[in-house]
Amino acid sequence: MRRDLRGALLLLLTAAVQSSSMSAPGKPVLLSCRSPEKETFTCWWEPGSDGALPTTHHLYYERERLEGTYECPDYLSAGRNSCFFDKNHTSIWVDYYLTVMASNALGNATSDPFKMDVMEIVKPDAPGNVTLWVEEREASPCVHVRWMPPSNTDTKSGWVTIKYELRVKKDNSNNWKEYTSGTQTHFSLYSVSPGGVYTVQVRCLLDHGSWSEWSNTTFVKISNYLQNERPLSMLISILSAILFIMAGLILIAKRKSVKQWVLPPVPGPKIRGINSQLLQSGGSDNVGNALIIKQSFPPIYFVWEDQMEDYLIVTENEDWLSSNSQKRKKSLIPACFHFDSEIHSKESPCHQNDWEKDEEMSQVDNNNKPFTNTGYVDFQRHVENVQEADVKHVDYSRVKEVKGDNVLFLEKEKVQSSGYMDFQRQERIPEDYSRVKEVESDHLVVLQKQNAADMSCKDEGNHYTDCALHKPRKPHVCTELSDSGYVDTIPAPPLM
Amino acid sequence: MPGTIRSVSLVSVVLLVCLSSRRTSVGAAPICTNGQVGCHVLSLDNLFDRVIQHSARMHGISSDLHSEFEQYFLPSKNQIGRVGRICHTSTIITPNGKENAQRMAREQLTEVILKLLIAWRDPLWHFHQSMAHHHDFNNFSSNKALEMNDMVHELRQGVEKVAEKMQVLGIISNSVTSLASPEVLLPSDSADWRLMKDYDLLYCFRRDSNKVQNYLKILKCRIVPDHGC
Repeated sequence: MRRDLRGALLLLLTAAVQSSSMSAPGKPVLLSCRSPEKETFTCWWEPGSDGALPTTHHLYYERERLEGTYECPDYLSAGRNSCFFDKNHTSIWVDYYLTVMASNALGNATSDPFKMDVMEIVKPDAPGNVTLWVEEREASPCVHVRWMPPSNTDTKSGWVTIKYELRVKKDNSNNWKEYTSGTQTHFSLYSVSPGGVYTVQVRCLLDHGSWSEWSNTTFVKISNYLQNERPLSMLISILSAILFIMAGLILIAKRKSVKQWVLPPVPGPKIRGINSQLLQSGGSDNVGNALIIKQSFPPIYFVWEDQMEDYLIVTENEDWLSSNSQKRKKSLIPACFHFDSEIHSKESPCHQNDWEKDEEMSQVDNNNKPFTNTGYVDFQRHVENVQEADVKHVDYSRVKEVKGDNVLFLEKEKVQSSGYMDFQRQERIPEDYSRVKEVESDHLVVLQKQNAADMSCKDEGNHYTDCALHKPRKPHVCTELSDSGYVDTIPAPPLM
Repeated sequence: MPGTIRSVSLVSVVLLVCLSSRRTSVGAAPICTNGQVGCHVLSLDNLFDRVIQHSARMHGISSDLHSEFEQYFLPSKNQIGRVGRICHTSTIITPNGKENAQRMAREQLTEVILKLLIAWRDPLWHFHQSMAHHHDFNNFSSNKALEMNDMVHELRQGVEKVAEKMQVLGIISNSVTSLASPEVLLPSDSADWRLMKDYDLLYCFRRDSNKVQNYLKILKCRIVPDHGC
C-alpha cells in the first residue's frame, strides 16, 4: 500500500513538472486573407501552441514596390488573430508578403510567408435585405424576389461590377434550383405552384472574384386557394366523362335504331296495291280506284273474300242446279283453288264466274250444304261494285247459251263494254281458256278449237289439277265447262 | 378613287421621309466596324460598354491561362522572400486603388490604359509563338494565347476610338499623345520581357488586364455616369 502511494505521488509530480514547462511558442499559421470590396482586406492566422506563457502575435508584411517591412495597422477591427488593412494601407495589383510572429518570454516563432495580391482575394459579403412577395395571378402565381447589394460595396463608381445568383427550394426538399440574375437586384420566379413554401437565397460575385456566402434564407408561402377549386373541377370532369361514356355505350348498343333514325331507308319505287294494268286501261275512274285501292291494301283480302262469299256459292249438288234458273247456272268448281298470296296486277287470279247480282245469291250463301269441289273463285267484279278489291277490270258478258263446242250465246243486256269475253288479257294466253275465234253477232261468239298442246290436259278428265302442274302457273283453277262463265279447254261434252 | 390616290401619295411621302431621315439620324443601332468611314452612329456610352466587355473577356482568358500554367509548373507559390518577378510594365505609373484612379485626370487615365495595351502587343505575340511550338500545351491553351493576342490588339483600337470620340466631344483635351505615335509609349527597357518566363508573363498580363478593365470602368462612370454604373 505504501508502494502504491509512492507510485501515485511520483506520477503526480512528473505530471506537474511537465505541465508547468514553458517553452517558446509554436509556429502560427496564416490561414487566409479576404477583401470584401476590393478596397480593404483582412487576414487571419492560427496561433501555434503558446508554450504556457503569454504569447503575442505580430503580423509583418512587405510589399512589392515598397521598401521596408511594416506591421499590421489594425489587429482589432476584425477580431482575434486577425489583421485588418484599411484603404490607406491597401494597394491593389501589388504583391504582399505576410508573416506572423508569435513571441513569448522564451522565444519567437514565425510563420511561413504568405503571398497574396488583393485582386485575387476578393470575396464579397452576402447580399442583404432579401425580400419576397407573391403576385397572385389567375392562371399561375409568381414570386418576386428583391435584394440589396452588400452594404460595403461601391456600386456607383463602377469600381466593381456585382453579379448575383439565387437559388430556390420548394418545401422541404433538398434540391435547389439556381438562377443567374446578372447585375439586377430583382428576380421573378414563375414556376411556382400554389400551396408551396418556397425558400430563396441570394449570393453575389465581384468582377472575377469568388462567390459570397448564401444570404439568409427567406421563405414565402403561396396560398392554395386554387386548390379548393381543383377537387370540384376534377369531380365535375369525372362525372361528365362518365356520362359521356355511358351515352357512347348506349349509342353503340342501339346503333341500328340510331342508324335508322339518322338515315331512314328510302322506300323503293314499288307500289303495292296499285294495279298498273288498271291504270293503263284508262278511264279516270280506273285510275282513281287504282290509287284508292293501293292505300288500304291489307284489308283487301278480307273484304274481298266476304264479297266472294256473299256472291258465290259453287256446288255440284244437282239439286241446286235444278232449283235455279237457267241463267243462274253454277259451275262445278273443283276445290283446287289456289290463291296466290301475292296479288299483283299481273297475276291472274282464278277466273271467275260471273254471277248475277241477285238477292238469291245471298240466300244461297247461307246454305250449309256441303260442297265438294268447292272453292273460291276469283271474283272479278265490275268497277262500281268493288271498292277496294284488287281486281282486274274486265267486262264480262253472261253466257246465255252454249251451242256446240265453240259457240256461245251471250246475253244482250249486260255490260258496259262491248260484249266480249275477257280472257286474261295478259301476254301469255292461259291454256285454260279458249280463244274467241270470232264474234258473229252481239250475242254469238265462236270459239277457237284447242291446240294440240292442250290435248294432253284434256285427257285427264274434268278435274283439271294436273294440267296446272305442267305449267308453272300459280293459280290453277279448274273449271268445268258449263253453260255460263268461262269456257274451259276441256272438251265438254258436246252440247250441240 | 381620289381617296386611294391620296393615301398612296401619303404613304409614298412618308416612305421618302423615312428613307431620308435614316441618313441623318443619330441614334442607336447600326454597328460600325472598325475603319468604316463616316460612321458616327455609336454613342459614347455604347463604345465604352463594348471596350469594357472586351477587356473583361480578355482578363478572363488570361486568368484561365494562368491557372492552367500553375497546374503544370507549380511555381513561385513556394517562393520564399520577396518577389523575384518584375513585370516589364512596372515602369508605367498606374493607380493602385480606387481613390487614386478616381483622382487621376481623364486624359492621364486614358493614356495609362493605352500605354498598358501597347506594352503588351509584342510580348503576347511572342508568347503565342512560343506556345505554338511547345508540345506540352494542348491546342486549347494555344488557341487561348492567340485569342488573347488578338484581343489586345482589338482593345487597343477600341480604346483609341473612345479617346477620339472623347476628344471630339470635348470631354478630354488633345493632350493624349498615344494617339499620335504609339511607339513613344513603349517602355525604354522593353527588352526585359524577353527574359521573363512564360509563367511570369502570364502573371503580369493577368494583373494588367485587370487594371485595364477597372480603369475603363472608372473612366466610363466618370464621363457617362448614368448608364449602368
